[in-house]
Amino acid sequence: MQIWPLRFRDLDDQRTILADDSGAYFLAESGFVDRYARDAITPPEERFLREKGHAFEWAGDLAHTGFLTRWSRRQHVGGGSAYVILIPTLRCNLKCSYCQVSRAPLAAQGFDWDSETLQKVLGFLDGLPVEEIQIEFQGGEPFLRLDLLQAVAAFARRRFQRVRFVVCSNLQTLDEDILAFLDSEDVLISTSLDGPHQIHTRNRTADSALTKNFLSNLERVIGLIGPARVSALPTIDMDDPPDPEDLIAAYEAFGFTSLYLRPVNYQGFARKSHPAARTSTAWNAYYRGFIDTLIARNALTGRVMEEFYLAHCLRRILAPGLDGHTDLRNPNIPTGANAVIDFDGQIYPSDEARMLARIRRVNLAIGNVSDGLDQEKLALLAPGHINNFDPDCIHCPYQPFCGTDPIDDLSRSGRIDVPRQDSWFCQRHLAVFDLAMELIYSKDPAVEFTLSRWFGLETLPDALRPIAP
Amino acid sequence: MIPLRLKSECDRTLAPFVTRIAEEEPRCAEDATLWSEEAGTLGYQTGQIKFRLSDVAPAEVAGDVLLVDPRRQIAHRLIRAASPHNTFLITEQCDQLCLMCSQPPKPQHQDMFDHFLAASRLAPTGAQIGLSGGEPLLHKDALFAFIDAVFATRDDLCFHILTNGQYFERADLAWLRKHRARLLWGVPIYSDNPATHDEIVGKPGAFAQLSPNLALLGLAGAALELRTVVLRQNAPGLSSLADFIARHLPFAATWAIMQMERIGYGRMNWGRCFFDSSIDFASLGAAIDLMRARRQDVTLYNFPLCTVPPAYRDLAARSISDWKQKYLPACATCSLRDDCAGFFEWYREEDGFMEIRPQ
Repeated sequence: MQIWPLRFRDLDDQRTILADDSGAYFLAESGFVDRYARDAITPPEERFLREKGHAFEWAGDLAHTGFLTRWSRRQHVGGGSAYVILIPTLRCNLKCSYCQVSRAPLAAQGFDWDSETLQKVLGFLDGLPVEEIQIEFQGGEPFLRLDLLQAVAAFARRRFQRVRFVVCSNLQTLDEDILAFLDSEDVLISTSLDGPHQIHTRNRTADSALTKNFLSNLERVIGLIGPARVSALPTIDMDDPPDPEDLIAAYEAFGFTSLYLRPVNYQGFARKSHPAARTSTAWNAYYRGFIDTLIARNALTGRVMEEFYLAHCLRRILAPGLDGHTDLRNPNIPTGANAVIDFDGQIYPSDEARMLARIRRVNLAIGNVSDGLDQEKLALLAPGHINNFDPDCIHCPYQPFCGTDPIDDLSRSGRIDVPRQDSWFCQRHLAVFDLAMELIYSKDPAVEFTLSRWFGLETLPDALRPIAP
Repeated sequence: MIPLRLKSECDRTLAPFVTRIAEEEPRCAEDATLWSEEAGTLGYQTGQIKFRLSDVAPAEVAGDVLLVDPRRQIAHRLIRAASPHNTFLITEQCDQLCLMCSQPPKPQHQDMFDHFLAASRLAPTGAQIGLSGGEPLLHKDALFAFIDAVFATRDDLCFHILTNGQYFERADLAWLRKHRARLLWGVPIYSDNPATHDEIVGKPGAFAQLSPNLALLGLAGAALELRTVVLRQNAPGLSSLADFIARHLPFAATWAIMQMERIGYGRMNWGRCFFDSSIDFASLGAAIDLMRARRQDVTLYNFPLCTVPPAYRDLAARSISDWKQKYLPACATCSLRDDCAGFFEWYREEDGFMEIRPQ
């Protein structure tokens, strides 16, 4: 019997999480690693490893073939569809304290696509080798240039077989034309709701009347297109985070069943006004407390609110193929089909990359709409976007579920080769995956209730929490 | 029941032949056209041959591919044009004796491949044809040659082959790869416990043979449908089997969990095998929950909708072939009837599901 290499990490004093390269995990008491390292595991442990697919007898037997399949499905292979972020304008009618894109003032000149740029953007989209696309409009505030959104939408609906639009809007102002644009099944809204009125005001609008406008606009949009096509996320200011109960209540009030807790991104204005966003300790503690509150509340009310990111990480632990969320996939090789086109026609591999260029930290543009993609730069960026061979990640049981974020590493440390454990991305994800594993192995009925509902199951199968004998 | 055999009058001295009932004008030499229509009897002509069909209307057989057996005065409806459930019975021989077998094996084999080839060439465009038995791969060389010959002229067709998986070899890999897009392999696995599986299929060592052969299908990238009839013998182990499938058979395209068919050995062993999932769905639910968490496809075959808890009903397919499917008198008022698999023709209420409740 040959055992596939196992990585391990202590969950607490007594228990260790182990996983192989295919993402098959199990829990063991801490003595297991010692026996594994000394090649002295017991016969019952051997049988356990064989049954759970961590071992095989000969290359090509069923256990071996099953493992190869599971391993290969853990690797993200793109190609079928595109996800492109467009910035038709960098101007915005708000000035949020944590604005990660360093937005331009409402009256500023030279921060919108001109008609030539629009044509070139359409040409770029036309050249993508896909028939399915999701186009996300970011800003600035995209609805300031509804005309550009309409032009892109009309083109994309002709060019692609399947298309979806997400408008990331602050919903601060609505008019009849905007409402008409929203009145198509292929248009979704993503907006920011930072929680209770006063916190939303402090973070985003600086004016209670503007917050009131936003809240009534959100209600109107949900009423018009239904809650399924509207999502919202709160950005959490760690200097004064909202009480979790209040935050959840604010989301429930609008009928949301999912929210996505987002830390202030250490980009743009936030670098000066939110220096605490640079480190992860406070965030991880708040996040854990928030999840505890959420789970207890779900059990109490019988209604189920989801925290999207934790649910996503949990689902990635349980099964391969959940690569829809661009922040967490591996490999995540930059291509034109997963690009950001800025207000000036520059093309970036990610939203964060354009933010770094904006503050002139480093220019990570991978081309522009006039000259096309810069293949040399793409090739240079590619190796940083895979975690399989990272000298730290190869020791981590969470590697198969995790990803990379070299752009964030650059933003915070000025380089991409910092030891993983020193990076915000790694610290944040170790904390999330530790929490996820604790929850999977929890026998607390409240936890089981929330997890089974998040997974869409009637009960939580014991086979999801294997424990070595 | 829809008849699969029709009474047919024909010159008894003729050899059996395959013909297609032309829907309008004949499209090839094998097509038969209607030349007489009397009370209860239709007269057809193909080439110089004339034959009659009894007790059927022209519209019911239009487009059907028939194997006419003059000696026995029977026409086998090899392909019914209007049905998605067409199956060629490759052989009645089998090396396994499954407790619930609906088609008990017979010792002798009659080679029908020439007729099946002729029929396949006349099949409707894009048809999926079932190949079943007995165990079709007992005649593997002839079967593979037949499939090659069909695809040589009809690469629009595909086959759904039911096999016990005992007869694949490493040397088949290239052939399996070549046809992977057009062949769906339905292979039964009843338990991850070898002793339980072997007991159910009545063959010691069957699981040990099945296991590496399933790996071959995986390595070939073949489309694999795992099939598990739920029985009293294996119901308690379904969760464990689900875990086995998620870990060792992740390449399976789907897992079909099936209810028993009360015919053949299934009728003989009904009392000791039938598992009444209408009063105990727990083991099935746990197995399905695990497959859902692992994002692997599951389907329920032959489960009337009212026997399945609402959370799992979307998995229950209308799986029972049209010619042997029925509803019960109680179903007359049910709002789910149109989406329901219903029951096998040979299902009996007195020893069937306890909980049949029109919705």
